[in-house]
Parts: sequence; structure tokens; C-alpha cells
Amino acid sequence: MPVYTRSYRNYEGTFRRRGRWMLIVEQELRILVKGKIFQFLCLGAFLHWLLRLFQVVAYDVIMQDPNHPMAAMLQQAKFLTVNETAFFDFLRIQAPMVFLICLLAGSGMICNDVRNNLMEVYFSKPITWRDYALGKLLSLVFVGLGFTALPAIVLVVIHNLLAPGWETLTTTIWWPVEIAAFSLVIVLPFALGILACSAVMQSQNYAGITAFMILVANGVIAALLAGFLQEENYLLLSYPMSLDRIGQAIFHQPNPVFNLGWGWPMAFVAMVCLLCSVIITRVVRRAECAP
Amino acid sequence: MALIELEHVEVHYGDFKALDGVSCEIDGGSVGLLGPNGAGKSTLMKTLLGFNRASTGSVRLLGHEMPRGALQVRQELGYMPEREVVSPKVSAVSFLTYVGQLFGMVRVDAMERTHEVLNYVGLGEARYRKMETYSTGMLQRVKLAQALIHDPKLLLLDEPTNGLDPDGRLEMLDLIAGIGQRRGVTVVLSSHLLPDVQHVCKRVIMVQHGRVVEDNSIEALTAPRDGQFEVQVHGARASFLDAAEKLGVTCVQQRNELLLLQVPEGGSGEVLFRAAQEAQTQIRHLEPAKSSLAEVFMEAMKTPPTPSDEDAA
Repeated sequence: MPVYTRSYRNYEGTFRRRGRWMLIVEQELRILVKGKIFQFLCLGAFLHWLLRLFQVVAYDVIMQDPNHPMAAMLQQAKFLTVNETAFFDFLRIQAPMVFLICLLAGSGMICNDVRNNLMEVYFSKPITWRDYALGKLLSLVFVGLGFTALPAIVLVVIHNLLAPGWETLTTTIWWPVEIAAFSLVIVLPFALGILACSAVMQSQNYAGITAFMILVANGVIAALLAGFLQEENYLLLSYPMSLDRIGQAIFHQPNPVFNLGWGWPMAFVAMVCLLCSVIITRVVRRAECAP
Repeated sequence: MALIELEHVEVHYGDFKALDGVSCEIDGGSVGLLGPNGAGKSTLMKTLLGFNRASTGSVRLLGHEMPRGALQVRQELGYMPEREVVSPKVSAVSFLTYVGQLFGMVRVDAMERTHEVLNYVGLGEARYRKMETYSTGMLQRVKLAQALIHDPKLLLLDEPTNGLDPDGRLEMLDLIAGIGQRRGVTVVLSSHLLPDVQHVCKRVIMVQHGRVVEDNSIEALTAPRDGQFEVQVHGARASFLDAAEKLGVTCVQQRNELLLLQVPEGGSGEVLFRAAQEAQTQIRHLEPAKSSLAEVFMEAMKTPPTPSDEDAA
């Protein structure tokens, strides 16, 4: 005999009003981490981080010790130097991974809710379109930052622990800020773009393919324009190149990919973000009419 | 103050007028929203929820003006949508816990309440399986459970028996009837199936072409008609009718053996016995004539469409 009775009972607990968007973030992350492909991509990202960890250890422990037997050999390998360039490269290499993860996690976020009629259910609860959109966006942003800013900042901390001292501290003091800023520049537009594709498409596959094609087509068009017109500034129209240019400015890198100042690519990225935000807002607000 | 107050509500989808001056009040109990497909029932439900804005008129729910007060109203309202709802990658337990949290329950409370509600709707061990593996009946139960999780004061159910087999349908209707009989819970059930509404509701609002064409209790709608009787006679039927006619009785309808007769104003069934006596016939069956809900519905649905409906068609 079951220990429960099949009768309707009144709920006697309390309701509290806290950020409902946080619940949406939690739920999305809970679903995401159970996915096999996500776990596989995490492994890929973790391997890259391990390589960078090896670089930090090699630089701080071996190259700084002149008596170490491998020191002379590693002194030749300039690419092992831990500086702003190393972190810029780390984030640049993580960017395609972040794009793939956002694609995997975000391409179905809105269209699947629409297709499975979940919008009606969610908006019959006391949540607003802002809670919904913010929850979906932040879940992607947190995942993205988890693959960029978080591991990079951990590397900075490890670097400081392995080579403690005033000089390291003063050199690296702004690195976490630079890392966080560039990570956001990578993650936020990707997240917004993929969510916008998810909002306008009817299926996860179409949304994913559309986002991917836009990115590829955009790069190809910019490269063709720059090549045919012999003007490298047209590379500004390539989204990855624009991100690179902003990253170069943030990490004080020489030899920019094109000569225009960082303000132009920043404006381009901001414009894309704005456009995507408008699309997401329109679609989500259409589902929820309440102010 | 009524729980739901609608005053001259009009809702447009582009040029099409989906609701055309709907006015009604609902204050407790179980109310059926009855109408054919496309009559405006779902639009009315969505207007109550604040998904649709009324272009004219006012909508008040639980004392709040809609859609301005939608968030407060939704805290106390449960909604079971018409279409299939599924969160494929999660179990019913996980989905309902999440929904409970969206209402503001803490996770532990939401989890406990989830199991209570799932027990109530009769979803057994399947609750731990991913929802993508559920049958239509199971998904209907989950849909009802998500509407009940926060113990709402007002329950809006849009075609809750869609896609259910006869047993499942009856079980679902019993569940809903059970909720409707509880004090403090108002159920608004939208359906195009008369037996569903009759099973659950005490009052019915019939909608056609976006307008309320009938709004009354089922008891009143199916009450005996004034001065009308259903009669079955044995013997010379024609002479009985002649005799009855002489006594001022008119024959409204003849259906096989049954006669539907209207006695003169102020008269009773006695006049029919007199007619039978004069015609040397026997009355085998006599009862006051009642309309079935189906008849009332068919009558109400004869309401002609407005010019705007015809334009849209």
C-alpha cells in the first residue's frame, strides 16, 4: 500500500520573490551539463588549459631557474613566455570552442521552448520577459566565461603563486581585468547572436546552421572585399577579425590585423549585439504581453 | 467583487475580431467555456492570462486590472494550455520542481509539492523518466500538475481532455471535478465537448464568433420548459391530437413515438389526460419537456456572425 494518499492538499509553504532569472540559469546549466557533447567539449577545453598550465609551470619553475637542466633548452622557446600575449592567444584559441559550446547550448534555447509550447507555461507563471531573456542569455554567458575568463584567471593566480613577488604582482595586476573584458567581448556577442538565431528559427538545427553560416559567410565576404579592393580595413567586417582587433587593443598587442582603431570593431560588435538584443526582445515579448 | 470580470472586451488579430464585446463575471465554482473550434475560447483564456491585450473593454482578475497586474494574478493562477507541453530532456519531477521554483517556492518545498501533485494526478514511477518518453495521457497529467503545483485560487484549463482515451478522459474529468468542488478554487474549463463541461461544471458560458451567446447555470439551461410535455400515447394518436387541439394544446414536435406538446398558458398536464380520455387512448409516458445541453448549445450556435466575421472568412 502506498504511503501517500491520492488527495489534493493545499500548499502551506511560502513564496519568495527573488531573481527568477537565476532559476532559469540554474535549470539551463543543469540540463546542459548532462549532455554528452558538452562534456566532450569541456574535455577539449580542459586539455588546452592543461597545455597552458604546463606553459606557466615551465616558464615559472624551469626557465626562471638557471641551474635547471632543461632551462637552456626552454630559453630558446620564446612562445613559452607568460605575458599578455600568452593570455591573448589562450583566449583567441578558446573562442572557437566557446562558439561551439554556445551553439550547442544556445541554438535550441528559445526555439525549442516555442516548439514544445513551453513559453505559454513559463509565462503563465510570475516571470517577465526580462527574467526569461536574461536567464537564457546569462546561462550562455556563464558557460562561455567558464571556458575563457575563469581558466585564464586561474592561470594568472597560478603564475603569481609559482613566481611570487612584487614584480609579478605589479605586472599581472591588470591581467584579470583584461582577461574578463576580452572574454566578455568574445562570449556576449556569440551568446546574443546564437540566441537571436534560436529566436527566429523554428528548430535547433536550423538555428545552429544559420549562426554558423552567418559567421563563415561574414568572414569570407570580408576577406574577399579586402582582397579584391586591396584594402585590409575591410577585414573590420569579419566578425572574428573584429574580435581579434579588440583583443589586440585590450592586451596591447603590436601588429594589428587592420589599421583602424579599436573603436570601429567595438562599434561593429556593439551594433551586432544591439540588433540581436532587439530580435530576442521582440520574439520573447510577443510571447508575453504583460508589461 | 467577482474573481473574473470582463466588460465589453474586444481582441483583434490584425483585422480579425477574435473577441467581440465579451462581458461576463465569474465568481467561484466550476465554469465551462463552451463553443465550437475557432469560437474564441482560447483567445478568451489568453486574454485572461494577459497574453492578449484587449483593444477595448476591461479585464479584471482577482482584483487586478489585466494585463497590468499580470504578475500578481499569475502567482495565484494555474493554467493548463491546450497544446502538448513537453520539456524533453528532463523528468516530470525536475520540470515540476523548476516550475514550483518559478512560483517562488524554495527547492525543497517545490520538490515535496511536486511529488504530492504527481501523486494526485496519478503519474507513478514514470515521473523519473525523461518527458520525451511520455504518452499523450502522461503529458496531460503533467500539464495539469504544473497548473496545480502552487495551489492556485483560479485554474484555467484549455481543452484538458485533448488526445486522451475514454478511460483517461474520465479520470482527468474526475480529477478536475474534484478540484472544482474544493472551497476556494475556481475552475474555468474551456472545451468544445459538451459531456466534459457537463461532467465538471455547474455553469456554462457559450461562445460563438467571439461573443458570449449564452451564460447560465446548466441546471437553469436544462430546466423543464414552461408548459411543454413529452407524451407517448398508446392507441389512436391522431384522435388524441385532435382532442388535445380542441383543448388548446399545440403539438410542437413529433419524434417517433414521442410527442412534444405545449399546453395553454397556466395549464398543467391534466389537460392531456382529459384529451386522452376523450380520444379513448392511453398515456404511456408523460414528463415535463427539458432541453438537453446539446439542444441549448445547438440553438445558441445559430447566432449569426457579425459582418467582420464574414469579411474575415
